[in-house]
Amino acid sequence: MNKIAVKVDDLTVAYNYKPVLWDIDLEIPEGVLMAIVGPNGAGKSTLIKSILGILKPIAGSVSIYGKSYKKQRSLVAYVPQKGSVDWDFPTTALDVVMMGTYGSLGWIKRPGIKEKKSALEALEKVGMLPFKNRQISQLSGGQQQRIFLARALVQNASIYFMDEPFQGVDATTEIAIINILKELRKANKTVIVVHHDLQTVPEYFDWVTFLNVKKIATGPVKDIFNDDNLTKTYGINYKVSIQE
Amino acid sequence: MSNAQIEIQLIACIVAIACAIPGTFLVLRKMAMISDAISHSILPGIVVGFFITQDLNSPLLILLAAFTGIITVVLVEYIQKTGLVKEDTAIGLVFPTLFSIGVILIAKNANDVHLDVDAVLLGELAFAPFDRLRISGVDVGPKSLWIIGSILLITLGLLIAFFKELKISTFDKGLAASLGFSPIIIHYGLMTVSSITTVGAFDAVGAILVVALMIAPAASAYLLTTDLKLMIIYSICFGVFSAISGYWLAHGLDASIAGSITTMLGILFLVIYLFAPNKGIIAILYREKQQRTEVSLLTFLLHLKNHKEIEERHVNHLNEHINWQKVRSKTVLDLALKNNMISIDKNIVSLTAKGDEFTSQAIDYIITNEDTQIEDMKDDFFLFRG
Ligand SMILES: Nc1ncnc2c1ncn2[C@@H]1O[C@H](COP(=O)(O)OP(=O)(O)OP(=O)(O)O)[C@@H](O)[C@H]1O
Ligand SMILES: [Mg+2]
Repeated sequence: MNKIAVKVDDLTVAYNYKPVLWDIDLEIPEGVLMAIVGPNGAGKSTLIKSILGILKPIAGSVSIYGKSYKKQRSLVAYVPQKGSVDWDFPTTALDVVMMGTYGSLGWIKRPGIKEKKSALEALEKVGMLPFKNRQISQLSGGQQQRIFLARALVQNASIYFMDEPFQGVDATTEIAIINILKELRKANKTVIVVHHDLQTVPEYFDWVTFLNVKKIATGPVKDIFNDDNLTKTYGINYKVSIQE
Repeated sequence: MSNAQIEIQLIACIVAIACAIPGTFLVLRKMAMISDAISHSILPGIVVGFFITQDLNSPLLILLAAFTGIITVVLVEYIQKTGLVKEDTAIGLVFPTLFSIGVILIAKNANDVHLDVDAVLLGELAFAPFDRLRISGVDVGPKSLWIIGSILLITLGLLIAFFKELKISTFDKGLAASLGFSPIIIHYGLMTVSSITTVGAFDAVGAILVVALMIAPAASAYLLTTDLKLMIIYSICFGVFSAISGYWLAHGLDASIAGSITTMLGILFLVIYLFAPNKGIIAILYREKQQRTEVSLLTFLLHLKNHKEIEERHVNHLNEHINWQKVRSKTVLDLALKNNMISIDKNIVSLTAKGDEFTSQAIDYIITNEDTQIEDMKDDFFLFRG
């Protein structure tokens, strides 16, 4: 078995004392491309935010390669849900991507030529170089998503958490994004993606976690992506034809 | 200009700059109302501070009052967190309470306290030069100039040191937290600076003008630029411009200086709101009109592309056929001619090669929504911009 990249033990998280995640145990092996699936409000975003120390759990612990998140920050990159930021903010595409380098800079130090160069490379990779000076509100939804992806790429991390990177993107962008994610996996990075389109799970991912307040199941797609788990997660009788 | 006049303008300008910097971030964080709340709820802090120090310009009083500002923010957030009321309601509950505590404190002790609510809310810039700072007997200038000047220096230092942190935590709190830049520390840092600035400035310009100087220049700058650094610089310029022009307006009208500066801020915002090149009302109306014309142009070009028959392409026929009024047809024809998209020969309209290609590209874009291929068309046509 591979090394464990992310380990979550007995995690319980609440907003205003109302738990939205109950007693989650989760082990994510290194080098997988994993989907987190579950209905709206299942706590998928909350799970990612708690792993990244953005939310404080009321119980449980999280470790990244055996150490606390605080010590391993530089190993982790994060793509938030697109709606979580104000796209009218006065800034350009390039500037947003540069923000990915802030973590390695630490407090006070400013980004310089080196940071700009890696931001430009990341923009190139997601095909957004021509838009580098565009104000971010003047980008289409799919382009904004690519910018977010580029920002995660400049972090040059080992583990990537992405909250619905396919939200509101067209087929071309979806393929472009998934190809980049597959490339990351090839480089033995671990990629964890909140995903809504159940049809594409077997095609895109090799590992899956079913979540609905509690963890329903986690494991290789070929073993556990079945109607039984889908029904347990979504509460209705689910029939997904899994393409071979 | 007399010395006092120069000093008043100098104080007003420095207050304007000191307010514009935190104001920019308050506006971007959609927290304009918080600055209003702070400006009122510092009153009890000022009163208590004044009982202790007997000096409106004492640094201890400023810190005490600024602390009341922070308490306001904490209370608002606490009430909001209960989930029972929304943020604006929480603000509306907290600051009148604190403010009225201040009013009662003043009323109860009115006999021996030289302090009134009007002075706190409106200030009196005209009197600022009379309260001098003396160091071992030497007059070094008005006290309020020194106080607000020191606050400005601290604010500038913090801005330069933590610009990157302020930017990332304002734009994307989640990312900032995951990278280890505590958004909470930045948030309370900003609230502290806003509170201290408000307190430091109220004696000279009053709490109301402080709110105006924080919000109006930043809101105006927001309409003009898409670059955070420029937004801060524009805010500062607008603040300074309103301070000086407001002073002379007051001079001419023999009116309150703070009131005149606020008026200038309002006028400035109105002008920019109307005339800003991209986000201004007039620009938006113009763009909408232009987009309508361009949709017509495209419809017209498509008609030409689909109809090779001569009778379908006669100038007069077009009026009836596409069902437009004369003026509209003429605008569209002119626009097409100007861009070399059509040629007219004996009243028969034909597509040029350029027009033909443009039509295909535009239709293709509308169908596929693929942006890249029409990038260069964006400059000439509003239709393809956002
Ligand atoms: N800031 C908050 N305050 C209070 N409750 C919240 C907050 N954020 C989320 N919740 C609640 O927590 C639950 C889980 O939310 P979360 O955003 O993690 O769901 P999700 O699985 O990501 O859903 P979606 O698919 O819609 O993104 C929901 O019931 C939501 O209403
Ligand atoms: Mg979510």
